[in-house]
Amino acid sequence: MGLITPLLTGYGVWNPVAWLAAFLGAAIIVYLIWRAGESSYKKGTEQGRPYLSGNAEPDKGAVHIRASNLYWGYLQALKPYYDAVVPVHTGVLTDYMIWFVAVTALLLVIIGVLI
Amino acid sequence: MKLTKSFNRSLWVFHLNTGSCNGCDIEIVAAITPRYDPERFGIKLVGSPKHADVLLVTGPVTRKMAARARRVYEQVPDPKLVMCIGTCGQSGGVFYDSYNLDGPIDQVLPVDVYVPGCPPRPEAIIFGVVKAQEKLERLEAAQ
Repeated sequence: MGLITPLLTGYGVWNPVAWLAAFLGAAIIVYLIWRAGESSYKKGTEQGRPYLSGNAEPDKGAVHIRASNLYWGYLQALKPYYDAVVPVHTGVLTDYMIWFVAVTALLLVIIGVLI
Repeated sequence: MKLTKSFNRSLWVFHLNTGSCNGCDIEIVAAITPRYDPERFGIKLVGSPKHADVLLVTGPVTRKMAARARRVYEQVPDPKLVMCIGTCGQSGGVFYDSYNLDGPIDQVLPVDVYVPGCPPRPEAIIFGVVKAQEKLERLEAAQ
């Protein structure tokens, strides 16, 4: 009774028998595709490696898309800004303090004049 | 030999240029045009050696191409055949004494069918493919 009756959750339906039937159907399709494959395929040889115009397969790490590729366009669009700002980042703490003091002084002057 | 009875499987061909002047390659392309239309018999060029039954090799095999030709050959599933198209693959042709050759082709790969000519005509290439099909059927029968 419990196995056959669908469980209505309010968000959807859960029926283990239907799920098992779908799983079985998918497994049969997978088996048929697998059975239609090349039976003389030799695992562990070149037959199992990708065809790259005859070139050797590079290491997996060498062909991965790095995270920096994802924001390449962003960096390219802001290149003039980065060209100006990156050299300023010297990594020397006193340089940053000078920038902080100078910008603060500038702001105080601007605020003092305008307000 | 079942050739005249059924063509019980399509013969898929992969073309590999190992340093050809392109003359043979042009004739291979001419052989698959509607004038000859070998595709009606299931004979067609494929884009990967992993889908092929026959490796069609043109050119005298330059040093850079030897290792690549071996790799491509190994990627063709068994049973497989190698066809040497053109004089360069058989003897080096006009490049026979070049410093840059590892060929001819039979020095690099086991060749089953030779199609001579500089370049061979499409009819000769198709005739070679038919010979290859006969041999492939014999190999399959033996398996």
